[in-house]
Amino acid sequence: MAFDFIFTQSFFSTVLFQALALLPLLLYASLGEIVAEKSGVVNLGIEGLMLMAAFSSFTFDYATKNPFAGVVGSLAVVAVMGLAFCFLTITLKVDQIVAGLGMYLFGLGLSGVLYAIFTSGAGVGASGVPTVPKLEIPLLAQIPLIGPVLFEQNLLVYLSLILVPATSYLLSRTGLGLRVRAVGENPKAADTMGISVARVRYAATMTGAILAGVSGAYLAVGYTGSFQLGYTLGRGFIALSMVYLSNWNPYRAFVAVFVYDFVDSLQSAVVINTPALAASSYLLALLPYIFVLALIPIFGRKARAPKFLTIPYRKS
Amino acid sequence: MQGRRWLRVASYNGLAIAFGLVLGLIVVAAVGGNVVLALRSFFISPISTTTNLGEVLVRFVALYTVGLGVGLALKAGLWNVGGEGQFVVGQIMAFIGVIYIGGIPASVHIFLILLLGAAGGLLWISVPTILRTKFGANEIVITLLFNIVATFVGLYALNGPIRGRTQSFGFPLTDLIPPSLALPLLIPGTRLSIALFITLGVAVVMYLLVERTALGLRLSIVGESIETARYAGINVSRVFILVMLMAGTLAGLAGAMHATGVLGFLDPGELQPGFGYLAIIVALLGRKNMLGIGIASLLFGYVIIGAQDMAQVVPAQSGMVFAMEGAMLTGVSLASYLLARRGSP
Repeated sequence: MAFDFIFTQSFFSTVLFQALALLPLLLYASLGEIVAEKSGVVNLGIEGLMLMAAFSSFTFDYATKNPFAGVVGSLAVVAVMGLAFCFLTITLKVDQIVAGLGMYLFGLGLSGVLYAIFTSGAGVGASGVPTVPKLEIPLLAQIPLIGPVLFEQNLLVYLSLILVPATSYLLSRTGLGLRVRAVGENPKAADTMGISVARVRYAATMTGAILAGVSGAYLAVGYTGSFQLGYTLGRGFIALSMVYLSNWNPYRAFVAVFVYDFVDSLQSAVVINTPALAASSYLLALLPYIFVLALIPIFGRKARAPKFLTIPYRKS
Repeated sequence: MQGRRWLRVASYNGLAIAFGLVLGLIVVAAVGGNVVLALRSFFISPISTTTNLGEVLVRFVALYTVGLGVGLALKAGLWNVGGEGQFVVGQIMAFIGVIYIGGIPASVHIFLILLLGAAGGLLWISVPTILRTKFGANEIVITLLFNIVATFVGLYALNGPIRGRTQSFGFPLTDLIPPSLALPLLIPGTRLSIALFITLGVAVVMYLLVERTALGLRLSIVGESIETARYAGINVSRVFILVMLMAGTLAGLAGAMHATGVLGFLDPGELQPGFGYLAIIVALLGRKNMLGIGIASLLFGYVIIGAQDMAQVVPAQSGMVFAMEGAMLTGVSLASYLLARRGSP
C-alpha cells in the first residue's frame, strides 16, 4: 500500500477543510449542553432533538427553497420539544435520565416516520435541497495554502467558532452566567439569594436544546442537503461525552471536538485514497470514537460535574 | 394495602402504554389509515394466532433477559444504557461461534455459542465498567457510545468475518444457521425456542440473588446511598463491577439466544434491535423488582407486536415503533410524577 498521498499539500488541505466543516455538527450541541448542565440539567435526549431539527430543516428548506428558513423553522420545532423536556424535568421534577431517553427515542422515531410520509407524498429523493452557502471572506481567502481552508467555510462554521469564547464569557464573566452556575452548584443557596432556580434552569436547558437543534439543522441543510432515519449517527451522545471530557469548559470542548473531527476526516480521506482499505472502512470509521474513549481516562479523571447535576430542586 | 399498591403499579403501566398508543393512533390517522382498525390490531393481533402469540413470547424472552441485568444495575444505582450494544455483540459472537467452531457434538456446540454470546456482552460492558469504577466516568454516556461502536463493529463483521456465501446482491448478511445448531423450538409454527426456559431459569437465580443473598442486600444498600454503604464497610466499586458485568453478560446471552434461536441469520437491520432501550423501560416499569420486570416484559412483548401490526400502514414501521416507545417512556416519567404526588415511595 502506498500512503505517499498523505504527504501532499492537497491531502492536507482537504483533511483540514473537512475537519473544520464538521465542527458545527458537535460544537453547537456540546456548547449548549455545557450551559444546560452547568445549571444542573442533563438532557440525554439531544440526539432526538438533533434528529427532529435535521428532519424539519430539510422539510422547511424543501418547501421554501431557502436553507435559512429551514434552520429557523427547525429551531421552532426543537424549542417545542425542549419546552416539553423542561416542563417534565424542571416543573414536574421527573427523572432527567428517563425523560431524556424518552426524547431520544421519540425524536429518532418521529423524524423517521415523518420523513417517510413526506418523501412518499412529495416524491423527493434522499438529497437535493439547497444548503446554507459558503462564506468566502474577501482578501483572507486569497492567502495561499491556508486561505481557502480557513476562509471559505460555511457561515455556520464561523458562527460556531465565535460561540466558543461567547459561551465561556457568558458563563464565567456575567451575572447571568453566575446565576446559571449557582443554580447548578447550590440551588438552595441560589434560591435564598432570590434567584428563581426554575427560571434559570429553563433558560439554560432551552439554550442547550436550541443549540443542539442548530447542530442537527447544519447536518441536513448545511453539510449534506439530505436526511434519513437516524441520520445523526449518535452525534448527540458524542456531544454529551465531549461535555464531560471538557470538564464543562467551552474552550476545552472546542479542542476535543476539533481533534475528534480531525481524526474523523483524516481516516475518511485515507480510506477514499486507499482502495485496499475498503473492507476495513467500518473499523476505521470507529477511530474517532475510540479516540474519545481513550481520552476519558486521561482528562475524565479530573472532571468535576456541577454538584446538583440531574438533581431536581425542591423547596423544602 | 398490598392490593392498592398493585392497582397503582397497574395504572402506572397503563398510563405509559396509553401515551404511546395515542401517538401511534395520531400517526395512523395522519397517513389516512383506519384508526378503529389500528386499535383493533394493537389489542387483538398479538393473541389472534399461535404464531403471533409465539412472537409475543419471543420478545418477552429477549426483554426479560436484558431487563433483569438492567434492573439489577439500577438496583445498585447504575444505568446500563448499553444493553443494545451488548445484545448486538452477543449476536455477532454467536455467529462467530457458529462459523469458526466445528468438529464437536451439536449440543456442546450450542452451549459454546451461547457462552460466546454471553462473553461478548461481558466484553462489551467491561470497558465502560473500568471507566466508571476506576476513572469515575459517567456510565450512561459511555455505555451509549458503546452502542454506536457496536453497530460499526457489526457492519464490519457482516462485511467480513461472518459474511455468508449465499448470493445477496452485495447486501451484507450471514448464511442461515445450520438446523442442528439452532435452539430447539418449543411450539411448531412459532419461533419460540427453549430460550424461554433459559430465561426463566436465569430469572429464578436473579430473584434469589437479590432477595436471599448477602450480595443482594449489599447492592440494595449501595443503590439507596453510597455513603451508607461505605459506612457499613461495603466495597462499593466491587459491587458496581459485579453488577455491571452481570448486566452485560445477560444482554450478550439474550443476543446469542435471539440470533440463533429466533432469527437464524444476521443482517444490518438486526444491528439495532431496540431491546436494549426497551429493557430500560421494562426495568423501570417493573420497579427494579425481578418478578415485576418479568410482568412488564410480557406486557411489552404484547405491546411491541401490537405496535408493529398497527404500524403496517405507516411507511417507516421501525420509526413508528421507536416513536411509540419514546412516548411510552415519557408516559413512565409522567406516571412516576403522579405516583410521587399521591405520596407513594
